[in-house]
Amino acid sequence: MIRKLGQFFRLYFFQAWFSYRSLFAWSTPFSYMTSKFGFPFFSMLYFVFIGKFVGFDNPEFIVIGNILLMPSINGLYGISMTIGDERQFGAMSYLLASPAARAPLFLGRAFFHIIDGFITVLVALPIAILFFGLGFSGINLLLLALCLILLSITTTGLGFIMGTISLVSRDGWMFTNTLGQLLFILIGVNIPVDKLPAFLQPISNYLPMTRGILAARQVLDGARWLDVSGLLGGEILVGLVYILIGYTLFRLIERASMTTGSLDSI
Amino acid sequence: MGNFLRLALRQMDVQLRMRVLSLWSLGLFFTQPAIFSAVGMLLAHAAGNANPDLIYTVIGGGIMGMWSGLVFTSTFDIRADRREGTLELIVGSPTPLRRVVGFRSLLNILAGSTSMLAAVTAAVLIFDYSFAGINVPAVILSFALLLFGLWCMGIFLANLLAWSRLSGTFVDLLEMPIALLCGFMYPISVLPSWMQYISVVFPIRWSLQAMREAMRGTAANAELLSLWGISLGISLVFYLFSHWLDVKVHDHIRVTGELHSI
Amino acid sequence: MPDQKAISTNQMQKTFKTRQGFWRRTTRVTEAVRDVTFEVNKGELFGLLGPNGAGKTTSVKMLSTLLLPTSGTITILGLDILRDTTEVRKRIGFTFGGARGLYGRLTAVENLRYFAELYAMEPALTRKRIPELLELVNLLDRGNDKVETYSSGMQQRLHLARALLHDPELIFLDEPTVGIDPVGARELRATIKELKARGKTILLTTHYMAEADELCDRIAIINKGRIIAMDTPAGMKSGMTSESVINLRTSNENLTALKAILSPIDGKATILCKENTVQSEVSIRTAHPSRVIEVISPWLNTDLIQTMEMRSQTLEDVYVAIIQNEEANG
Ligand SMILES: Nc1ncnc2c1ncn2[C@@H]1O[C@H](COP(=O)(O)OP(=O)(O)OP(=O)(O)O)[C@@H](O)[C@H]1O
Ligand SMILES: [Mg+2]
Repeated sequence: MIRKLGQFFRLYFFQAWFSYRSLFAWSTPFSYMTSKFGFPFFSMLYFVFIGKFVGFDNPEFIVIGNILLMPSINGLYGISMTIGDERQFGAMSYLLASPAARAPLFLGRAFFHIIDGFITVLVALPIAILFFGLGFSGINLLLLALCLILLSITTTGLGFIMGTISLVSRDGWMFTNTLGQLLFILIGVNIPVDKLPAFLQPISNYLPMTRGILAARQVLDGARWLDVSGLLGGEILVGLVYILIGYTLFRLIERASMTTGSLDSI
Repeated sequence: MGNFLRLALRQMDVQLRMRVLSLWSLGLFFTQPAIFSAVGMLLAHAAGNANPDLIYTVIGGGIMGMWSGLVFTSTFDIRADRREGTLELIVGSPTPLRRVVGFRSLLNILAGSTSMLAAVTAAVLIFDYSFAGINVPAVILSFALLLFGLWCMGIFLANLLAWSRLSGTFVDLLEMPIALLCGFMYPISVLPSWMQYISVVFPIRWSLQAMREAMRGTAANAELLSLWGISLGISLVFYLFSHWLDVKVHDHIRVTGELHSI
Repeated sequence: MPDQKAISTNQMQKTFKTRQGFWRRTTRVTEAVRDVTFEVNKGELFGLLGPNGAGKTTSVKMLSTLLLPTSGTITILGLDILRDTTEVRKRIGFTFGGARGLYGRLTAVENLRYFAELYAMEPALTRKRIPELLELVNLLDRGNDKVETYSSGMQQRLHLARALLHDPELIFLDEPTVGIDPVGARELRATIKELKARGKTILLTTHYMAEADELCDRIAIINKGRIIAMDTPAGMKSGMTSESVINLRTSNENLTALKAILSPIDGKATILCKENTVQSEVSIRTAHPSRVIEVISPWLNTDLIQTMEMRSQTLEDVYVAIIQNEEANG
């Protein structure tokens, strides 16, 4: 039992580290930082100025929203790319043919991306808070940290789903990309969900992160445990559903690929 | 001359089928600009502003598509050729890499124009944009200069990418800031003044400004002329610089052996 | 008369500097080619052999203008590769082993057309050449299929066709038969011979010694960036006098006993022992095969010797001997 558990964890961490390294095989700290913060930072500024031009005079809302989106983007792209890339490098068939247990293999891929996403937002958020002179005094930091961790985890379900799609389709990461961009609109990053056109609001409510981001915003405004517990519970539930869907989809496609042998042909 | 044209056509044909006609560039030309435009429209809506300026919010998205498409195709090409091992074969042929890159970038720009077309169509069909008062010849000339400026920047970036793969990250980083600084979706005056100064070095900022003023039909000819002149001048500087860079790149990649490495 | 030479190099060297490390950047220097001087005559088929990482590909890339030498001079078809780069490129063709270097989403014909344009070929000529070349490399029936659907051997053959498009005088073939099946490899060798018969100069690298032996007029063996032997295949083989090789097989337990039996021929032969999991192999290279036979014949029907096999020395034996000798002497 203990040995088995040990094996499980070794596999888990090996997978995790491998997946993380192979994605962020950047050669210098500079290229790591730019690839990590570059696009999110500049697109955030872009949205701020677009907002300013059209009369949306609440840059804080956009800045905080984009920062809260960072771990999600990390989970979404990071995980879907690591799964999708396997196919490009032809390693998928080795992986699938190996007797390794599927669950750690699968979850392992997510681990460092979750950590990485969490750290990213941990660095970016205080900078923004100081920049806008919000101060930390009224904020329940523990609760905020919980929101952030939750956001980093719940997004992984989407990552797995998109990664699995990338496995079957050469243009899979185009879908990932489109989804990633739709998040700019749908989950309350740039535009408050209740200000969206009515037909979009239900979609927002069925996506992970919408509730988490809202909760985090409220915590930043001084909300306490009880104020956001409903939102957080909803976030956990939705996140779990997506992770489950991702895992099932992966298993299904894995089984299908064994019969068709389609995985490694790019 | 015949050779030159044939080479141009073949390069553009392969470029079109290999790289441009993919879902991926579809995303760059249409999806991403549409999303940015949508964010703009929705922000306007959320702020209670019912009629945002279409020239910026919608047609600006088209420019965004052209630019992103250019950045990615022009630079991704070289990376893809490096990865596929064909860069080596192109460099080893008697045709200068410069020419190959030039034709490919040209096609990328032309393909990117469809993004502009889509944006204008959307502006007209969905948002009732009217062409009243538009100075047609000036718009066309401005647009041509915009394309030329984009082309010059494209070959410049491609050369940079051929030089080293490290600059890859740098180029990825370039897409947004230039959209931001050149004011693709808002007037430059929205930016803090120190930011406004940075974008003076990009030819497309000037041709873009000329195009917008021509669309409003408000600008004096003298002003348009000076904008065109500046845009053309800076474009040429970019062109000459890429030419110079091309020679350097050709030597550099043959020293480091980075032609074939991924 | 430099014009008589297809290739002429003088102390060609290539040093790579690579940077490594995430936090602390260290520079690693690889001397891929240290000092290579050789000449290839027009119409000659010259083989470059050597272990992995010896510097073969690096050499070929320098000769084909894709890499600049760190020092030394290279003259190709009487032209200096630094000064007359474009002219050299017009007159040479090259392929590098492996499946890279083709546009997978295009068909073979489209790939060839694309490269024909890079060599500024007339369309009429291109139309004539492409079917000819596809025929030559046995791909005529697959010419309109996308290259990504090809097997690696087929891609390899297409590489050859691509290299021959503009009818170059000098052809560099870096491991042209890697990944090709035996029948295909034989056909490819026939193609290479035909090219030579048409007066082309060819520089070939390969890891198959039999191939080099069959095809090459002359061979250079390169190790760690230096040429350590250069001769005709026959000359190489006879360079070690007319030695023969006798291979014996025995069980592992009997190896020491067998070695003891072989002690009388110690000075007259080179004995190599290789212990495998079940059996051991003893390879005796000698100029006096009859003496060896005399010594071992009484034991031929015993457990000490399970099988015996005698052959004359191949190029592979010579190659292995030369490389091992190099390793031993540092
Ligand atoms: N671009 C490069 N940067 C750094 N080092 C390189 C580069 N290309 C080759 N090398 C190094 O140069 C040496 C010679 O490599 P080369 O490819 O010429 O060997 P080779 O003889 O062709 O080997 P093989 O038989 O495996 O093809 C090797 O140590 C290799 O690691
Ligand atoms: Mg090699």
